[in-house]
Amino acid sequence: MTNILALQDVSMTYYTKTSQTQAIKNLSLEVKKGEFMSILGPSGCGKTTLLSLISGTLKPTEGKITLNGKEIDGTTTEIGYMLQRDHLFEWRTIYKNITLGLEIQHKLTGENLDHCERLIEKYGLKDFVKHYPNQLSGGMRQRVALIRTLALNPDVLLLDEPFSALDFQTRLQVCDDVHAIIKSEGKTAVLVTHDISEAISMSDRIAILTSRPATLKRIHETNLQNVKTPLLRREAPTFAKQFETLWKEVKNDEK
Amino acid sequence: MTKNEYLSAEHRQFVKKIKLRKLAVTGTQIGVLCVFMLLWEVLAATNVIDPFLMSCPSRVWATLCDLYYDGQLFHHVWISLYETVLGFLIGTVAGTLIAVLMWWSKWIREVFEPYVVVLNSLPKIALGPLIIVWAGTGQKAIVTMAVLISVIVTIITMLGGFLQTSPEKILLMRTMNANKAQIFLKLVFPSNMTTLASCLKINVGMAWIGSIMGEYLSSKAGLGYLIVYGGQVFKMDLVMTCTIVLCVLAGGMYFLVSLLEKFLVRWQN
Repeated sequence: MTNILALQDVSMTYYTKTSQTQAIKNLSLEVKKGEFMSILGPSGCGKTTLLSLISGTLKPTEGKITLNGKEIDGTTTEIGYMLQRDHLFEWRTIYKNITLGLEIQHKLTGENLDHCERLIEKYGLKDFVKHYPNQLSGGMRQRVALIRTLALNPDVLLLDEPFSALDFQTRLQVCDDVHAIIKSEGKTAVLVTHDISEAISMSDRIAILTSRPATLKRIHETNLQNVKTPLLRREAPTFAKQFETLWKEVKNDEK
Repeated sequence: MTKNEYLSAEHRQFVKKIKLRKLAVTGTQIGVLCVFMLLWEVLAATNVIDPFLMSCPSRVWATLCDLYYDGQLFHHVWISLYETVLGFLIGTVAGTLIAVLMWWSKWIREVFEPYVVVLNSLPKIALGPLIIVWAGTGQKAIVTMAVLISVIVTIITMLGGFLQTSPEKILLMRTMNANKAQIFLKLVFPSNMTTLASCLKINVGMAWIGSIMGEYLSSKAGLGYLIVYGGQVFKMDLVMTCTIVLCVLAGGMYFLVSLLEKFLVRWQN
């Protein structure tokens, strides 16, 4: 498999009037096409900063990030971003929320709308297109948020703890849901999380970061690709062992 | 209530209870008004209060009829209404546009913030003499007063709302490659419909204060003019009548704005 996304020696420093904080230090990482990678690290280690860098909303102080071999310069629709909350626009119908990205891009063409229709139909949102977000459950809203991201047909999906606002029951469900949709659309995904079991159950590989300034500690392979859904993976024989290993590694870094 | 036939007996009971309560509130509201009027009338008729100073409902009614048959009532009402609505519209639109400008440019915002704050604290009536000198003694001065009073509040309210737009939603727009105009038109402005609605409601009051105050300062017609005139020649019936007409007009305008609010935030239900 070829690399779709590559970070080379990326560093990021924030400045304030009185101090400077290095959030990321010499981080190098490759994400292969079609894989699901999680980025795991102690809370406050700069994971969200990392996603902002990849999405092009921030520029690294040093190093470079390439997507399909091209250096990322500013935001691009080749990268889709899913945030911690669904952030659906309450005043727009579900359909209008899903087509928001296309509207911004002035790409409301027949072909793109057909793509949206297909996603809407395939992922069971057809009955809700005329609804407003506050008429939907938390899990459904998160699904709409994912479809909104997919509507722009990005190569890479960035997921910034997209399940953290959901209760545990819904969370497991939505994990399965999102995982299935991403796999069936054949997308590359980068998930940022501090939830170890979520990382193991969702991903093919896990990049473990150190505490601030974040740098790559190690890459962990879950070897669970043959188990289909995140929920089933939680019951895999090696799950508990992996959890323990990762937990120790992350904990050792927390201060 | 087209689905009424599907409701269970308990549910119907529940809906009935809500409706009854609402009816009781409205009934009591009307009752309070009637009792107040009756008390006022009786106290005045029995000379417990001086009807010459305090007026009374029957005298207010008579004055209202006189004004109406003279053709004066609507003449004055229209003039005040025209000034108020014009001041309201200009104040709201101009205030919102200035707020947009101050949201757009952090530089402008930082530079002009203290000026807005000072202007907000300033009692606008102090500018009355200046306005009369600059805009003349006609309706222009009165509309200017109504605009001045509503514009500053509008700037502060709308800007506050704009700046409170969720930063994550702005980030989301940016990751979709939205430019600043799109962020404003598709996110910041529509997410502030509730702010706009409350701003409109405040401005109904502000515009009335402005126009009546303007008429106090200098005018040849309007409800404010009648009130001042009534006060000067000690016609308390006229003062009371105009005040009550004013209540009805302001209330009506507030009601219209509430209807508009329902339309603006229709997605909430």
